Amino acid sequence: MGRKILFVTTDQQRYDALGCNGGVVARTPVADTLAADGVRYERAHPQNVVCMPSRATMLTGQHIRNHGVWMNGVPLPADAPTVAGLLHDSGYRTGLFGKAHFEPFLDPFLRFPENRMGVSGATQDETGPHRGFERMEFAGHGAAGFVHYVSWLRDNHPEQMAGYFPVLDMTLEVNSEGGGDTGAPQVKHNPVPRGIYHTDWVADRAISWLDGLDSAENWFCWLSFPDPHHPWNPPASELHRVPWRDLNLPAGYPTDPSERERLLDSKPAHWRRWYDGDLVSNYEAPARWVPATLTPEQVLEVNAMVHIQNELVDEALGRVLSAVSDKGWDNDLDVIYTTDHGEFQGDFGLLFKGPYHVDSLMRLPLIWRPAPSTTGQPAVVTTPVGLMDLAPTFCDIAGLEVPDWMDGIPLPRSEIDASNHGRAGVITEWDSLHPNGTEVHLQSIVADQMLCTRYEAGTCHDGTEGELYDLAEDPLQRVNLWDDPAAGPRKVELLEALEDTIPDRPTHPLPAEAAV
Amino acid sequence: MAEFTNEILIDAPADEVWAVVSAAERQAEWFPGMVSSTVEDGIRTIGTVAGGFLLEKILSVDHEQMRFDYTITGPLQFDHHLGSLHIESEGNASRVSYTQELRPEALTYALRAATGDALSALKDLLESGIYSRGFQAVPGEES
Repeated sequence: MGRKILFVTTDQQRYDALGCNGGVVARTPVADTLAADGVRYERAHPQNVVCMPSRATMLTGQHIRNHGVWMNGVPLPADAPTVAGLLHDSGYRTGLFGKAHFEPFLDPFLRFPENRMGVSGATQDETGPHRGFERMEFAGHGAAGFVHYVSWLRDNHPEQMAGYFPVLDMTLEVNSEGGGDTGAPQVKHNPVPRGIYHTDWVADRAISWLDGLDSAENWFCWLSFPDPHHPWNPPASELHRVPWRDLNLPAGYPTDPSERERLLDSKPAHWRRWYDGDLVSNYEAPARWVPATLTPEQVLEVNAMVHIQNELVDEALGRVLSAVSDKGWDNDLDVIYTTDHGEFQGDFGLLFKGPYHVDSLMRLPLIWRPAPSTTGQPAVVTTPVGLMDLAPTFCDIAGLEVPDWMDGIPLPRSEIDASNHGRAGVITEWDSLHPNGTEVHLQSIVADQMLCTRYEAGTCHDGTEGELYDLAEDPLQRVNLWDDPAAGPRKVELLEALEDTIPDRPTHPLPAEAAV
Repeated sequence: MAEFTNEILIDAPADEVWAVVSAAERQAEWFPGMVSSTVEDGIRTIGTVAGGFLLEKILSVDHEQMRFDYTITGPLQFDHHLGSLHIESEGNASRVSYTQELRPEALTYALRAATGDALSALKDLLESGIYSRGFQAVPGEES
């Protein structure tokens, strides 16, 4: 019997999405059971809060500045070392099903292998396994894009394609239109039957691949669900699960507009400028949508959609785990569950994501259910860990030496294990250069229940701004201590730790080759 | 509005480069990812390898200045788009400048990267002699 690794990712999922993390709406019994039987991490941070840089970190185990994918639209270099490649070279069968996004989506001339594979239906690139995966079948965020799911939907259920919300508009900007009951952006009632929605398609493709493997083989399967990322258009048949009118507004949403504005004004200027519609700093939110127009009802409907999408993901994961169990493999199965970044989901009166380093976008679900055949006890780890620790963990599970090019360290199996790591903190960084000329740069460190963010000079900031939050006393990050003299010594320590930990920027940054 | 310019020096006389660039229906020969280009009534229709298409209105073809201007009119709905190709002699070589302006800006980086690929392909085409041989072969075939 070989070792089996199931790496489960969602996209844009908040920490509180799962019941095991305190979520009280979406029912996520599958993830909750994994957490109860394994290790649940209470402070897992991405190294960047948008998809491509974060996914490149997962695949390489590297800081952003070392793999070079500094914003969406920057492709991971074709020769970048990957943990999938290491495992493949060590005899592991390797597959990825769902969203990859190591290369740009916005690629009208198919310059990138992922998109050529999606259009042609190939499951490897022109030279063989792609980035270490011997089989890849892609899905994105709906019925558009150069992914296998869209080709499959077009071939088999063309009548369902129009049911999805178009995530981009006819100018290829993120679509600012809305729908549903409240007109919330990126919401739509989607008549697609549940069984052919992309969440279940991803699970189906993974199960099909696993069915072809021999019991003695080692394997690494990346099960990469595109949800609950916008557009928020789960199958309409499932809307009964979470009626939005029955929800309470999330704790992070300040209901009083003047309170919202006061909170935003206590942060660096781009927060309020985006809210007011005065700034488009990045591509990841609709450029024509003004957050200040967001109504409480829209917040509720978006949240309901997300909760439904989270339930569907949990049930699809359950089907994959059942398929593995039916083969008698469960005892040797390691499962790691996480996401690439979070989502505002109404916090501070905002939706989507961008250069905003707070828990909404940075505190992620992370669960490791080690193979029951290994020793270890269920645990909760509160010490910060990063997504760059995933690739080293996969190496560790496979009995491979963690290579020097990985920056992360294997995830701790307990709080005591974590305390032995001696890490100063976990880094998250953001760099963006919008074609409109807007430039934003910030870096954060989380350590000892404190979150500290420094800003570099750009077109919105002069480089003196910052944010400092006491995560224990201020879990919603509403009190910015950056200019509080009493917090000064702690701020200095954190900034020194940040400077000591973050790698140097590459001499020649990679060019952006698309918006996303 | 975003604006970018890609440039390349091609070791070929300007009139040879211009002959290729100004032939609107030949763009697919040197623009990777384009599989067809046809022109009718001043509208160029580009077929893409992804199965999509672009409609481009040819604004001007200035043989004296060696400048080709066009604008994308569909299916993408830009508020503004202008593409300009300009050839200048540099001794026995030619400098090709390919400028695009667009608003909204979402496609800026993708177009910049694809245009860079296209100019490299144009250079390969002209410097490899494949085009010259092809051009010279046409009269022979006719005869």
